[in-house]
Amino acid sequence: MPRTMAAMRDQRGFSLVEVMVAFLVLTIVITVSLAAFLERNKRLQQATEIVLAYQALANEAEYRRRMPFTELESQPASFVSDTQVLDPLEPYGTAVKVEQVKPGVKSVTMTVRWRSGERSAQLSVLRVETGASSLW
Amino acid sequence: MVSQQRQRGFSLLEVTIAMTVFGVFLVVFFMLTAEMRDWEKRLPVNLMRNPQIAGVLGRMRRDVQDAWIPFGKTPYVNEHDGFSMSSPNTIILNVMQSTGGNQIIVWDFNTPGVARRIAYNVGFKNEWRAAGLPEDFAKNFTIGAVELNDRPYGVRITMKDDHGRVAIDQILQPRTHN
Repeated sequence: MPRTMAAMRDQRGFSLVEVMVAFLVLTIVITVSLAAFLERNKRLQQATEIVLAYQALANEAEYRRRMPFTELESQPASFVSDTQVLDPLEPYGTAVKVEQVKPGVKSVTMTVRWRSGERSAQLSVLRVETGASSLW
Repeated sequence: MVSQQRQRGFSLLEVTIAMTVFGVFLVVFFMLTAEMRDWEKRLPVNLMRNPQIAGVLGRMRRDVQDAWIPFGKTPYVNEHDGFSMSSPNTIILNVMQSTGGNQIIVWDFNTPGVARRIAYNVGFKNEWRAAGLPEDFAKNFTIGAVELNDRPYGVRITMKDDHGRVAIDQILQPRTHN
């Protein structure tokens, strides 16, 4: 019993330097973990957004494949397909640009922009005049 | 007894400083994650990351692209037309093979957690199954026809996640065959 009391009397707290070093280490660990967590989540979100955007782009491409070659330029400059898959990206914008690459060949470029234009996804298809109606 | 007398609690100042530091940390954490949580609520589950779902959609896309359809008809039909019958959980396709022959492909999503692709080819039946799909896959998965330009050429596949958010919306249509 006397030995225990003596041992208790010898106990002392941590010094200021020890506490500060411990806090510094803890802060570094928390900061690095938090940064890694946020970065990972950001990338997962971006991946999900891009999957949604590319589904809308591919769907629009199927519509544009079916349009008559000679009427491609006169079609709406925004998406004509149902874009409900893009609803989570509101507000978003869509655009379609048609360019004559050479006689009988047109490039149709579709674009989706979201997050105030910070992010975008684009898909281009080449349409070749086949002489047939409504073919791609 | 002496050591007990020396023990004391934290002063109000110490507790206040500690709580302030902790509070600042919490505020910074919530500010950093607020936008992230908001987007997480809006975005659907990325079902395309599920390899089974991606595999099924990839194979189905190829079947639809290889499908042969009578002029003016669709690879997906709701009513019996003497050729095939489909439902929101089934699609029947007449697919051209590289050898030039045809085979009938049935995609069946009626079994919970399983996608079945059954190919019929002149007396032979061949089945491919993708198991391990989400149990409610069939409930949230629908196949329908979509008009492209002026005719219902396309097949539209949609799937919602558990919260009813559209996660998959894909339009497929057959390609031209020589």
